[in-house]
Amino acid sequence: MAQQPTCSCSNTTGTAGPTRIIFPCAGQANTGQLTNLAAIQLTEEGYGNIACVALLAIGAEGVLANAKKADEVIILDGCPMLCAKKIAAEQGIIPGQHIIVTELGIVKAGSRDYTDADIETVVSAAWEGAGRTENQGKNGKKPGQGGCGCGDRCGGKC
Amino acid sequence: MVTIEVLGTGCANCKRQMSNVEAAVKQLGITAEIVKVDDMAQILERGVMMLPAIIIDGDLKISGRVADVPEIKKFLAGGA
Repeated sequence: MAQQPTCSCSNTTGTAGPTRIIFPCAGQANTGQLTNLAAIQLTEEGYGNIACVALLAIGAEGVLANAKKADEVIILDGCPMLCAKKIAAEQGIIPGQHIIVTELGIVKAGSRDYTDADIETVVSAAWEGAGRTENQGKNGKKPGQGGCGCGDRCGGKC
Repeated sequence: MVTIEVLGTGCANCKRQMSNVEAAVKQLGITAEIVKVDDMAQILERGVMMLPAIIIDGDLKISGRVADVPEIKKFLAGGA
């Protein structure tokens, strides 16, 4: 039987495209919560692997190592406070793509209400490269306990 | 007019690819014929083994991953 083309959507090893680590700010407001939901969906779609910005803030070695190994770091900030970007900068991590939810037409509100369309707006922006920066930077270092962005390939070791 | 073929079987990544191509064309304000190629025989005919893929005016530009909008714009501008 002739060989059939394979699609990157069935590739669970992440070898077809660049490896990406996604840091959502995960702030308490609707926009912060949206970054988390979008990062989860992007991970499920195979775009990259979500990692904890809190781990990054404490300089956990695993998450830093994975961020350094990754081809690209994606930072999702909910609002212009840019907490995740600032945390990354403290660790010497420069994003290849930085998306700010409020710049996508989503208003930061006092509630944590969101819609599926809001999540899709953020997810689409990442796939489109809407937050692409000039820096396609490689980054920082070291191991922690899960949430390190390796897609659980470390078995909890980093 | 440029002809852009987007090869894919209709999965999520292939849809993202099509959407990104449409966005790139819109942002550049160019006239392009965007052709969706989802028939496996036609994909094989073009010698593509990794999907999704983009062919611009007969040249395979990318295969096996989703290209984002800035990247597609570079292809269309003749930068890659």
